[in-house]
This record gives sequence, structure tokens and C-alpha cells, in this order.
Amino acid sequence: MADFVERQNLLEDDESSPAERRSASGDDRPMSAICDPSRLPHRAVVLVFMCFLGFGSYFCYDNPAALQTQVIQDLNLNTAKFMQLYAWYSWPNVVLCFFGGFLLDRVFGIRLGTIIFSLFVCVGQVIFAAGAWYDLFWLMELGRFVFGIGGESLAVAQNTYAVNWFKGKELNLVFGLQLSMARLGSTVNMNIMGWVYNKVAVVVGSPGPTTLGASLMIAAVTCLFSLVCALVLGFLDKRAERILHKEEGKTGEVIKLTDVKDFPLTLWLVFIICVGYYVAIFPFIGLGQVFFIEKFNFSPAEARAVNSIVYIISAPASPVLGFVVDKTGRNVVWVMMAVVATLAAHMMLAFTFWNPWIAMSLLGVSYSLLACALWPMVAFMVPEHQLGTAYGFMQSIQNLGLALIAMAAGAILDSRGYLVLEVFFCACICSQYFYLSFLLVF
Amino acid sequence: YRMLKLTLQLNPNSTSVPPGGDLLHVRAVGDNDTLHFLWCSQGAPTLLIVHTNTSNSLVQVNWTQFLSRNVSGGLSVEPQSSIQYSIAVVFSRLLEYDDANDTAMPDSDFFPPYELQNLNWNRLELFDAKARLCGETPEFGNGSLCLTLSVFDSDGRAESWPRLLHSANSSQLEVWLHGIMPRSANSRFLLEMQAVGGDFPLSRVDVRQFIDDEFTPSIFKVSQWVSPVKGGSDVSGYVQWKPVAYRQSNPALEDATPCRYSDPQTQDGNATAASSALIQAFFSQPNITGLNVSFGLAGEPFYNSTRFLSWTMLVGVGAPPVDTFSPIVLAIMAVGLGTPMILLLVGGALVCLHKRRHGSPATYQPIN
Repeated sequence: MADFVERQNLLEDDESSPAERRSASGDDRPMSAICDPSRLPHRAVVLVFMCFLGFGSYFCYDNPAALQTQVIQDLNLNTAKFMQLYAWYSWPNVVLCFFGGFLLDRVFGIRLGTIIFSLFVCVGQVIFAAGAWYDLFWLMELGRFVFGIGGESLAVAQNTYAVNWFKGKELNLVFGLQLSMARLGSTVNMNIMGWVYNKVAVVVGSPGPTTLGASLMIAAVTCLFSLVCALVLGFLDKRAERILHKEEGKTGEVIKLTDVKDFPLTLWLVFIICVGYYVAIFPFIGLGQVFFIEKFNFSPAEARAVNSIVYIISAPASPVLGFVVDKTGRNVVWVMMAVVATLAAHMMLAFTFWNPWIAMSLLGVSYSLLACALWPMVAFMVPEHQLGTAYGFMQSIQNLGLALIAMAAGAILDSRGYLVLEVFFCACICSQYFYLSFLLVF
Repeated sequence: YRMLKLTLQLNPNSTSVPPGGDLLHVRAVGDNDTLHFLWCSQGAPTLLIVHTNTSNSLVQVNWTQFLSRNVSGGLSVEPQSSIQYSIAVVFSRLLEYDDANDTAMPDSDFFPPYELQNLNWNRLELFDAKARLCGETPEFGNGSLCLTLSVFDSDGRAESWPRLLHSANSSQLEVWLHGIMPRSANSRFLLEMQAVGGDFPLSRVDVRQFIDDEFTPSIFKVSQWVSPVKGGSDVSGYVQWKPVAYRQSNPALEDATPCRYSDPQTQDGNATAASSALIQAFFSQPNITGLNVSFGLAGEPFYNSTRFLSWTMLVGVGAPPVDTFSPIVLAIMAVGLGTPMILLLVGGALVCLHKRRHGSPATYQPIN
């Protein structure tokens, strides 16, 4: 998931008309800066809640990866079955990305919608943890399904809030921070869950489904925290609406299925590139831990660290690289460079015994660069009223690709090992050149 | 390409079933050499490989001497002068320790070891070019320790993991502990082996890395227990294994468990000869080194979780087999990476054509 945040970078609108500013601060009742919705300190407070709104879902999304060996051992799974935990997240979102934003705009409204989606995330994680606790794999899959329903749509809601509060003000910064926050959630999860599991194992007495379930229940606290943020945001938004007399915000992303048939060819190419690229990143990170332990003699802790370096790098690098791409333009060339760098990184991992910190760092930089350069291209290809449909569609087929490739990757690894898996990823990335050269032509 | 003709003979020239264990002789005849594989459960299970430079060499057993187990010479290969090299591996002990802290460091809390020479070994079961030997002891409960010897007439690779590459000059031994009652819930096991070499004892373990893990997914190393003499590949032998054991008889990737080895150490030749009839009978002054292979890693499930552990190794003469990329992987790499490269070229050509047709803005201008 993790990447729909970037897309919203484009929806920002930097014009801030003086008139709007005046009307925002037009109310002259005395109010301290921290309480005044039209002033920066108050927005900063709102920003904190906004950032932590998504923290729970980002944290819990990668719980299975952080506890890969423990999940597999405690529940007697094989790799292919383990990967289904991710597939059950991705599959619903092949369709739900279309409708999440639509429901927010047309049915629930942003405040109620956010709370509802946060509830889905919470309940999903609790079901997931309960499934682990009682060693019921189907219940865990159900948990991931429910979690998925909430997760992606919650991100849409988070972006909508950001547009409502920061449009024409600090929107760039806000999206940058939210992206960093997403990475932070994943990273903290990757580094802390093993430790949490060990501590719980000491308390419970031995590793096993109970320990796993308890660890995941502890992780669910982050979701609860996010739910609290949703409630507070709802309250603050309601209050701001009352004080500033503004209408409840609309995303402007009205999903119309018929828009799809009017998409230009270049947009479809961008979709293909997006899918082909992302499937070579996320499924690999999901399966990487054992690879680093076995091939490079890393300890489990080191393996987790090197696995999460991609996220760690992209947190600070995304805003910086985004700034660079903005200043220079030529997105296609930047995307090409990102693809070449990613290919080099995968080849290093596949064909050499070089220290994987090099390859994974390169992967982190190139991934950030691609995220910055690819998503904005869509804005140049479709008219504004189709942007939402385009991004929703892009997100959906990305989820489709991730779900399919995650299953294929597990099966390839089980039967043919990591080298063939890496060659498969290299092939995915290689084929991006072809489509990119078409993009250069048109 | 080497093809050998295999003949199996159980207890050669014995008039009755020998008490205390079987002796299997596999004769592998090549164009101008012979390999004799001798697999014996008289005492600790022992595999002896003798390489001779003639296709007419024979094994002779003096059963009275062989069974008395106190003098050398009970088994010989004739003519003596044709012997190029001989190597033997003795499975001497099974060690068990209580890994209460889950460190997988076998340095304390050992239970009394199982001396494999004292196990009750069943009769050898033969099928094709394989021989299975199972041993029991009351402490095992209903479990057993089994060894399967496979001898090959040509190069190839076994069907089941770890799918070691073997040559006709090697034999494969799979050791498995099936249903053994562990003496603690956190028990882990070690296997003690002794290698008996001629003039050059196997005193070093080399680890070779290879990027291709297609035959043994997630395993990128192979360990080779060799003698330190270089260059003389004709007069050397080896024990080779991948550092992986499996916790299921039909393993998936998650059932793989790493294994580690201790450094080889010189052992007392007389003690080993006393434990194995084959060593006593064939070698007069054995040069012996021993090492332990320990199974499991900190945090991995204990033996008790599946009560199954299987580990595979090769014993052979000459140079150890070297893994290569399989044709399938080469084909996948060629198609997987080649096709996009071609597409890339086509794409590049498209760009060029497009630029030419629509005129390139980057025309050269005179400097002045």
C-alpha cells in the first residue's frame, strides 16, 4: 500500500487567494493561536493528529513481514500460505480503491468516513491477532481482509483531510510529512515487533500461537491510537467548520467508471510501469529476511534492519527528490534512472555476495525517486476532472499486481529458490525500459 | 561422461548371516578402474570407499577374522598394488543436549551420548542401488536412527532436498532421526562423524559459496571436508554437505533448519578401530579426524516439534562435485533478461526513428 500517499502530492493546489485568507481569519473573536483554526499553531496541532491517523494502519500492515519466521513457525505455514496474509489485504483493494473515495465524498462525509475506516482497521487487526492466538489461519485471513477494507480508504481520508486543512497553505510539507510518517510506521514495526514478540514470549513462557496473538494485540494498540486521532480530528474539523463557517470538504475525486475508457495510451503505459515496478519492490521486501540471513550470514536482527532500510531512506529522500524532480522536470528521464538503479540493485542481490546494504540503499533511493517522478506524470496526461479516477484506477491495478505477484513470488521461492525469484524480479524491471521508451516517443 | 556398472553383494562369500551386522559390497566398474563401496553395520555404521586403477580388483573377506574384530586384515582389496585411494566415514555418536535457553550452542547440558556401535542395527534393506540401515535402542522409545546409502552409476542429482549434485565417484548418505523420544522438551542433536583417510587425513572444512540456490532453496553454501593437500585430486577424497537439515520427511522451505560443524580434530585410531569392524579389518594404521554436525539455530523449533530430522551428505573420491547453473535457470535468465534487452533495443530504435522523422532539435551549430 504505502504509495497512494504520493499521488495526492499532485492534487495539491498552491494558489491561495488573498480573499480566501481574509475570509478564513475574518472572525475577529479573540482566540489563542493554538485554538484558532485559521492560524498556523492550530493547524500544526491538527497536523500531528493527521499524521498519526495513518500510523496504526502502516504499523500493522507489515506485522506479518516483521514476524515472518515466528508466524511461519508458530502456525506451521509455508511461504506461499504466509504470503496470502498480504494477498488478503491487497485483493479487496483491487476494487475498493475505486469506492473508498467515492463513499467518503457522497455517503459518509469525511469525518464519519474516517472514523468508520479507522474502526475497520482496528477491528481487522484485533481479528487478525485473535486468529493467531487461537491458531485459526482462516480467522487471520479474515482479519487481514477487514483490515484492508479500512486501511487503503483511511489513507484516502487522510489525504482528504490534508487537502481540507492545508490547501493553499502548507500542503506540500503536509504530504511529505505524511509520507515520512507512513515510512516511519513501517520502520518502527520492522524493528520493534521482533523485540515485542521476545518480551511476550518471556511473559507467556514459550513462543507459540498465544505469544504471537498477544504480540499482535499489542500492535493493535497503535490502531486504537489512530482511531482516537480520527475522533479528535472529527471534533476539530466540526469545530473549525462551525467557527469558520466553511462547508464540509469535498475531495473533488468523484469516481466515474466511464472515465476509464477515455484514458490516453500513455496513461496505460504509466499504469503498466507502476505495476511492473512496485511488484519487484514490495514482494521482495516481504520475502527478504530469510534471504539476508541465509545468503549473507546476517543475524535475524541485522536482516530486519537491512530489509527496512528501503523505508528508512525513502522517508527523508522522498521530499528531497520530489523537490529536485519538480525543479528539473523531465519526469520520464528520472523514472528511467530509477528503473536502471533498481535493476542494478536487484542484480547485485542476485548475482553477487556484495554487502546487501549497498543494494538495499540503492533500492531505497531509486524507489523514492520513482515514487516522486512517476505519480505526478499522471497529472499531465488526463484532465483534472479525471484525475481521481486515474489515480484510483492506478492504485487498484497496483493492488491487483501486488496480490498476484505476491502469490507467484511465494510459489517461485518454495520451488526454485531465491536466484530464480530475483531473476523474475529483474525481468519485471527490465521490461519497464520498453514501455518507458514508448513514453519517450509519445 | 562417466558410466559405471554396479553390482551389489550382501555379505560376500559368507556361508551364513553374520551375527552383529551386515556387510554390503557395491562394486562399481568403470573402463579402467573400480570403486568398491563397503557399507557395514558391524559396530558403528561405516562406509568405506576404495578406488583401484584396474577393472578387475576384488574384495576378499576372511569372515572369521572379520567377525573377531581384533586384528587387521580381515578385509582386503586385491591386488593391493592397484589401490589408489581409500576413505572411510564412521558414524560414531549421536549427541543430545538440553537447549533450555534456546541458544543452539552445544557447549553444556549434554545428555549421555548414544554410542552408535551399541545400537541394535536391523538387517540392511536393499532396493536398487540403495541400502537402508535402521538402528534402535530402548531409550529411543519407538524411534530409530536410519541411514540410507545411495550409490550411483553416473552423474546426477537426487529427487528430494537438498538435491546434492553427485558424481559416479561419490555415494550419498542420508541420516534421519525419526520419532526418537527426546530427553528434554528443548533437545537438540549433534552427529559425530569420523573420517578415516590414508596418508592425508581430512583435516579441513572448506565452505564454498554459490549464487544459485535453485536446487536447495535459500541455501547458498556447500561445506567440504577435505585433506589440505592441493592439486592431487586423484589421490583425495571428500565429505560434502549443504548446511541444511529438514524437519519433515517431505519438506517445504520452512522445514529447513541450518546446521553447523565443529573443526575437525585428530582422533585416537585404536578407539575408532575398536568401534567399527570395517575399520579394524581394512586399515592397519588409520589416520582419523572427527567432527560434529549440530542441527538447529537459536529460535528455531526444537527436535520435539516434529520429531524428525534428516540430513544428507556425499562421500566420494577425487574432487568434490561443483554446482553449476542448470539449463533451466540459464534458459530462464536468457529469456527473462534477454527478451527485455531486445525490447529495449527495439524501443531505442523506435526513439531514434521518431527523432529522425520529426527532426532532432539538437543539430550542431558552428561555434562561432
